[in-house]
Order: sequence, then C-alpha cells, then structure tokens
Amino acid sequence: MAGWNERVTDLSIASTMTFDDVACAFPASLQEALELMADEKTRGRLLAGGTDLMVQWESGVLAMPERAVSVKALPELRTIEETEADVIIGASVTHMDIRRSPLTQKHVPSLVDAAATIGGFQIQTMGTIGGSVANASPAGDLAPSLMITDGAVVLASVRGEREVPITAFWTGYRKTDMQPDELIVRFRLPKMPEGYREAWRKLGPRQAQAISKVMGSCRGCVEGGVVKSFRVAIGSVAPTCVRLYDVEKWIEGKKLNEGTLAEAEKRTSDSITPIADIRSTAEYRKWVTGRIVRGFLEQFADQ
Amino acid sequence: MVMAVKELGTLHSVGKGIPRLDADEKVRGLAQYADDLNVPGAWYGFVVRSPVAHGRLRGLKKDPGFDWSQVVVVTPEDIPGNNIVDLMGRDMPFIAHDVIQYLGEPVALVAAASRHLARVAGSHIRADIEELPPLLTLQDMVARYKEDPAQLHELASQTIRKGDTEKALSEADMVVEQEYSAGHQEQLYIEPQGMVAIPESDGTMFIHGSMQCPYYINPELCETLDIPPEKLRVKQSAVGGAFGGKEEFPTLLAGYCALLALKAKRPIKIIYDRNQDILYTTKRHPSWSRYRVGVMKDGTIHAIQTEFLLDGGAYTTLSPVVMYRGILHAAMGYRCENVAIDGHVYRTNTFPNGAFRGFGAPQALWAWESMIDELAEACGMTPHEFRLKNCLHQGDSTPTGGILRDSVGSPTVLEKTLERANFSEKLKQCSHGRRGEKKWYGIGLSFFAHGSGFTGDGEARIKAKVALDLEPGDDGKPVVNVRVSSTEMGQGTCTILPQVAADALSIDIRHTAYPMPDTFKVPDSGPTVASRTAMVVGSTIFSAGKKMKAELEAFVSAELFDGQPVVLEQDRFCGSYGDKEMSFEEAAAQYLSRKGSLRVYDQFKLPEFIKWNQKTFEGDAYPAYAWGCNVAELEVDTLTFEIRVTRVTSYWDIGRLLNPVLAKGQVEGGLVQALGYAMLEKIEIKNGKYDADRMQTYVIPTTLDIPEMDLHFVEFPYEHAQPGAKGVGEIPMDGLAPAIANALVQATGIRMRDLPITPEKLFQMMHEEKTA
Repeated sequence: MAGWNERVTDLSIASTMTFDDVACAFPASLQEALELMADEKTRGRLLAGGTDLMVQWESGVLAMPERAVSVKALPELRTIEETEADVIIGASVTHMDIRRSPLTQKHVPSLVDAAATIGGFQIQTMGTIGGSVANASPAGDLAPSLMITDGAVVLASVRGEREVPITAFWTGYRKTDMQPDELIVRFRLPKMPEGYREAWRKLGPRQAQAISKVMGSCRGCVEGGVVKSFRVAIGSVAPTCVRLYDVEKWIEGKKLNEGTLAEAEKRTSDSITPIADIRSTAEYRKWVTGRIVRGFLEQFADQ
Repeated sequence: MVMAVKELGTLHSVGKGIPRLDADEKVRGLAQYADDLNVPGAWYGFVVRSPVAHGRLRGLKKDPGFDWSQVVVVTPEDIPGNNIVDLMGRDMPFIAHDVIQYLGEPVALVAAASRHLARVAGSHIRADIEELPPLLTLQDMVARYKEDPAQLHELASQTIRKGDTEKALSEADMVVEQEYSAGHQEQLYIEPQGMVAIPESDGTMFIHGSMQCPYYINPELCETLDIPPEKLRVKQSAVGGAFGGKEEFPTLLAGYCALLALKAKRPIKIIYDRNQDILYTTKRHPSWSRYRVGVMKDGTIHAIQTEFLLDGGAYTTLSPVVMYRGILHAAMGYRCENVAIDGHVYRTNTFPNGAFRGFGAPQALWAWESMIDELAEACGMTPHEFRLKNCLHQGDSTPTGGILRDSVGSPTVLEKTLERANFSEKLKQCSHGRRGEKKWYGIGLSFFAHGSGFTGDGEARIKAKVALDLEPGDDGKPVVNVRVSSTEMGQGTCTILPQVAADALSIDIRHTAYPMPDTFKVPDSGPTVASRTAMVVGSTIFSAGKKMKAELEAFVSAELFDGQPVVLEQDRFCGSYGDKEMSFEEAAAQYLSRKGSLRVYDQFKLPEFIKWNQKTFEGDAYPAYAWGCNVAELEVDTLTFEIRVTRVTSYWDIGRLLNPVLAKGQVEGGLVQALGYAMLEKIEIKNGKYDADRMQTYVIPTTLDIPEMDLHFVEFPYEHAQPGAKGVGEIPMDGLAPAIANALVQATGIRMRDLPITPEKLFQMMHEEKTA
C-alpha cells in the first residue's frame, strides 16, 4: 500500500502492486491443492474464475496477495452429479454450466434462473459457484437459491472433509466459516420435492449486467390455496443473504388471501433492516422485499 | 456561398446509406487509438492530485526516502509560459499553485519509464494543504441561491428579455410555478482519455491523441509552453467516442504531457484508466430551473419567467456557453411575447463541468417540456392539444425575437409523431395509478428544437475554413482529400464529408478520402461540436467542391478537349460537342502530372439577414433549428415500482439527410444516452468524492434496456447553405427525459421533477402522497 501518502484519492494508486507480482500456483489435482493450502508458506488466496477478485484487486478495493492458488481447472471440482436425494455441484462449476445442466434445471430451477442473471456471458463462463459463495458478498446472486434448498457446503483440507449447512456458512459481511487451509469442493443440494415449485426475482438497476438491489428465491408448495411449505431467502438486504424463518413459519398452514398476503408482506418488511448504498435506499429495499415475498406467494397461489 | 437549390445538381452520394468509410479499419482492429500509438522512448505521465476539495496549498513534500533520479517531476515553477488553461475564463491553472478548488486538482506531474513506476512515484509526493470548507452539491448551491446569491461565486450570467413579463404575469388567468433539477452525467465514451506529446528535434511539440478539437489545443497550449503556434502540431488519433467529453478536456491532458515532455526531453504518454477518467474529467452540468408561467384560460401561454442555474464546478471553462445554449432553449418551441430568462453558473468544488451532447439544452428542455405538461393540465387540456395550440410555426418569433424564416419542421414533426404513436387514443388508456392492476401504463410527449451550429455570432466569428486537395493517393491514383479540423469520433464525419465532396464534384465517392486532421495540414474548420459539422462544414465543403469542379472542367476544356465547354457529371468529363469523354480518374491524373496538386479553399458565411446581439441576446440565436418530437410509452410494475420504457416513437427534422443510416444511428444512440440520463445515471458526492467512479457503479443502459424505437425523418433542408443539413448530433439527447416523466404522470399520477427517475423515488413519493 502507498504508506507514505496516506490520503490517496485515486484508487489506481491505492495499490502499487500489479498482477504480475502475484505468484500464482496451478495445482494439477485436488490433493496437490490441499497440500499447498496446508502449509502457511505455500498457501495463497484461492482463485477460481477471478471474476470478483480480479476486479477488486485491479480497483484497489482489495489488496493483492503475494500468492494465489488457482482451483478453476481442478477436474474433481468440475462436475454436476446427482444422488437419490441431492444434486452435487462441484465448486469450480461455472454459472454457464449451471444454466445448461438438465440436473440443475430439473431439481434446483431457481439456481438456474439466478445464474442466468449474473453479469454477462463472459462472466458466466468464467465465474464459478464456489468462487461466488466464497466471495461472501451479500449481493451474490446464487446465495438465496442455495439457501432455500437447506443444502450444505462441503469443505476439504488435508485434515479431511466437513459439511457446513449453507444457512450457517456466511458468518458476517464478507465472512465465512472457512479455515485458512480449507477450500470449497462441492455443494450438496437437496432436490426440490415432487409438487413443489421454486421462484426467483432480481431487482437491479438495469436489465442485464446488474448488481442486485434486492434479490430472492423461494421453494414451496401450495395445495388448495393453503401453504403447505414455504422457504424464502433474500439477498442484498443484510450483511449476508438471509432466510426469513419467521415469515416461513407464520405463513405455513395459512390460506392465501388478500389478508394473509398483506400480512406476509408486512412481516417480511418488518423482519429486515437493510442499508442504503449506491444501488438503492434502505426504505425502498425494506418495502420491496415484502413486495417480492408477496409476489412469490401470489405466483404460487395462481397455480 | 449561398446557393440556390437548382445549383445543387443530382445527388449520388448524399442521401444514401453509404457504409462508414472507417468501418473496415475499425472492425479489423487496424485503427490506431491513442493507446495503440507506439512511440519509441516514450515515458508514462501521471498526475499527482489534491486529496481535498477546497484548500490553500502550502507546499509539496517529496519523500526523501524515494529514489527521484529515476523519474521526472513537474511543478508550476517548471512551466515556461503562463500557468493558465485559456478557455472562456482564465481562472484555471494547469497545476495548482495557490488555492485548491476541487478534489483531484493537479498539484504535480510525474513521468517515468513505466506506468507503474510513475504511479509509485506519485504516491511519494504529498501536498500540504490547509483545508477550507467546500461547496460540493447542486442542492447546497441552490439552497444558498435561494437564501442569498451573493454567497455564491458567480462564473457567468446572462439574461433574455422580451416584452414585459412581470406585467404579463399579472394579466394571466393562472400562474404556474415549478422547480426542476438534474444531476451530473458522465460521457462514458468507450475509449478513455489518452494523449502523447513528442518533442521534435526542431523545437516543435507534436501532440497526438484522442480529441474532438485539434484547434483548441493549438493555440491554447502555446501560451503555457511559450512557443509560437507554428511550433505546436496537433494530430487526432482514432477516437472511440467523445460526446463532448473530448472537447475541452484534452487540452488539459495535452498540457500535462507536453510539460512533462519538455522537462524529460522525451515523448510522454498519458492514458487514463476508467477510474481516473470518471473522477477527473468533465461531466454534464447539474442544473436547476425555476419557472413562473402565466397562461390564459383558453390555453395560450402569456408570460414565461424562468431562472436557469448550472453547477459549473471549480472553474469557468466552457460553462458560460453551456448556460447560453440552456437559456436559449429554456422557453423555445412555443409562441410567447413576454419572456424573461436569467441564467447563472456558480462555482462548486468539483471537477469543472463541461461539454456533453446537448450542451445545456437537455437540462433546459428536461424542465421546460415537463413544465409544458403541467401547464396543459392547469388549463384542462391534453398534452398534445396544448402543444399544437402554442407551438411555433414558420414566420413566428423565438424567445430572443429571432424569426423562423424557413426550414421549420414545426409543427410537422409534432403532428406526425402524434399520429404515428396514436397518442390521443393511447392517452385514454393510461392507468393513473389505479388500484388492482399488475402493470400501470403511461404515455408521454415532448416537442423541442435544437439550434444548429454555434450559438449567436459564433459561426460569424469562427468563419469555418475548409480545403480540398486533389493529390496522388497512397496508390498513386488521384484522390480528393477533405482537409478539415472536423473530427471523426464515431459519429460519421469521415463518411458524410466525402459524400458531400463527391456530390459537389459529381464524382464517385471512392475518389475521395478523409485523412485524420493534423493542424500542420488542415485549415481550421472549427471544433467538432454544436451539431455544426454537417451544416456548417458540410456546406463549405460543398462550395469548395463546386470550385474544384469548375477548375478541373476549365483544365480539361483548355488542355484536353480543344477548348470546347466541358461538364464533369457522374464521374466523367463530357465535351459539349459530344465527341470527347474522359473519366475523372484519367483527367485528374493528367491534371496532377501537368500542374501538380490542386488545393481549393472556402469559408463559411452566415446569410446577411442573420442578426444577433451578443450582449442583449436579441435576434437570431441560430441560423436554423432541427426539430424533434418524442412519444415515450412505459410500464410500471405495481409490485416493485420498476419502470420500463417500452416504446419510443419519434419524428425528426434535421434538414437534408446526408446519410440516413448514420443519422438513424445518431438518433438511436442519442436516445439511449438520454434514457440513461432519464432513468439510470447518477453521481452523488460522498466525502467530497463522486460515489460512482467505475463502470460497476456508474450504470448506463444495456441493449436489454433499450425500448422499441420507431424513428422517422422529415426533411426541411436548410435553405441558405447546400446541401442543407441542419445537424443531428445533439437533438436526440434533448427530449426523452421529459417524455418519460410525462408518461410516468399518466401511469402513476406522480410527477417527478428531479432526474433520474427511479423506483426508489417513485416509492418515496407514493408513500409521501399516501401519508399526506
């Protein structure tokens, strides 16, 4: 950092490093990557598609690290598979892979819809699900669709693997439950049950290439106008993406009508305290989050 | 110069959608932009900037621990001439030496062998500044203006007076008062600012880079470098968009490069990255308008009184003329015999605001065309009835008392747009915020004129000069080179000017070319601004082409066709006896081999009857006006208040269409830029700094945001200079914002008087209305 001149106005001189100064390792296997990460001397900033990190480094928002470890090409992290109950998505699977896979399209449709709204084709082709989740931005568009599955992040290190529920993975603004020697290897996402539906809604300043003002996903089932099950998660309104457990609990078992819809909208807005930033105001976010949840329920009720 | 229509001849190039002559080299990546210029031995320049917006500079400190032998540093003491950027005012220094007026104002320049080293060196220079309280925002500026304007530092002011406005206001049946405002807009051209300065061995300073106006840099830089104009050569490199952003700013960048080059005695290159480009270059002036308009019960406009304020930023720069164009459009378009307009530009402590497509007119028309809808409502009339009743016709007088003598596209564009859009029927279908609907629909109208060419006596003072050179081309074949300082920056100059030259000569366009402007080779045809190139420079080239045609016909007659009368027509010289014919190419080659190159000059002249008083702002403010009408249709999602413009229907009178494909491209691009201004683009100032400083945070429309566009032209050619174009560069920027605001009222019942129009503001205003 430019220590001598403390009051730099120009982001371009905030960091005096360039990407050429970063020593980037390209391990050939997962085992090799885990070993690199195990040792403090070889450990580096994990780099997948680079679509978040490169921008943050270039602009000086994030200091460039001395070392990086690229995991984008690790074959173990690049597959989408299924078991009886779950879809298993490797950490280096790209947003474009998610859009195109019949497995994700069938079993986690709102994740597919969310992936389709991230950046443009170039970003979707480079950016990965593991990178997006590790970046831990509250505006990360995949987060709500992952949260509503009640699935898990699988972390690995030379010490072995462990599963963390997605709902517990983000511990604060840009903070995660990962240890310094761990990397994300895959996501285990329970499939959408028979008769259930998912929905996705993103509000951005424009129709494409937009960072969300507010976005959310839901998974649920409405039978005979009565809510049998409803899970909803919203991003960009708190330090992390949030599940709205109180709203979920309240609406379950209720018959959908103007009264319950209005109450669900109100309870949703009351349950969050978003902030204002360059993309939107706190008041609008609070209100429109309630509107989005209302819209989800209306959509389910129409079926 | 003034030519009757019959002399126009048959047009073979003009009016055709000839593909851009620069398309091939740009598509294939061959065009050389500033950053592509390979300059052996060049070092990279970097600007060290003030970290505070307002203060007194006590001095500079260089880190004693840094190795300064590897870099060159320029401070005001190193400037050979005057440390002044001479634009409309002489108040701006190249490098600050006393008072700091904006955050990022240069305090020193650094150059080094690598871009990286120059930046590192820059971070080892610290400005010692005694901070003073800054004035940063339009809101604070307007608050002080309302309290007492004497608290503000005025950079420029101007009035327009017609009739007795105070008396007329007292006579009016109703007086409607309203205020409107709009913020900064960044040009966001694709190619950031870039420049190279090369000190030549003969003492010439060669400036090569991204710019709109080579003859701004020369002479402006001569005073600072203390060199005569003939020792300053300025050449344009390929330009990836400008929109006014490369009108006055490149003079600063050229100055930084040249000052470093003088001291380093080697070429210097500065290429801004996007972050620097957004933070430290000019933007559209934030504006505030207040209207008091008196109307009669029958819907007649009886009196217009308005104040038009611009936030000038730190220094005068071009702000006075931006304000002039603003006030000249602030009451334009409609009949009214009592007009009083007061324009002011005040200083704030931000980067000086500057030229941007429209140049004050979009700000003025945003307010005025919103006001027109509010007046219609006050009179109980529909937006279109009110406009049709009051709009100017041929023979009417403008707010400055100028007479619309000819080429008047009003009311034709208005009538045709209304019909095409089915406006009166669709107006009845608007939602007005009705409960229970999933989408609210609204339709809105705007109607406007844009003055072609320089404001007031500008064209009379500049007297645009052009040259045509018949000379051997690179392949040895004869070519007619268009020699002007008017630049290609993406808009089409390098195609339309050869089209005009080709038709003036009656030759095929393949015999013409447009070399990049270089002040050592081209006369001063004026800056490429103010929608003036097609009309002013184009018509001067047309008359130069006629001169060259006569000269060549005389040569062929005398030296090749035994003295018989000769006409050059459709690329062939034909003798009147019918026995001799020769292709242009062959005859021109004969000319070159016998007489050498041929250069013809011409100069633009305004018609005698154009009269203007620059002091009182009375008379013909512009030689002609382009006219436009926009109808915007939109939908509001009642769940989220997201607003989507779905369709824009418009008619344009831009005079004679030189190239309909390029003209349509200009209109489409301008409407998209206007859509961004209306709905997306905003910069706020947080801790003295622009909060949007990257493309991540400064949001412009994508292709998916663009509405259906139904665009049409009607031609009312300018009659006093052939071929009769009036200018299309800026007018598409002028009217979309108010059309959208007017549509939003019909959709929601909410009137938005501050740009941009966002779901957040709609929510807030809906909420306030409900609780009120």
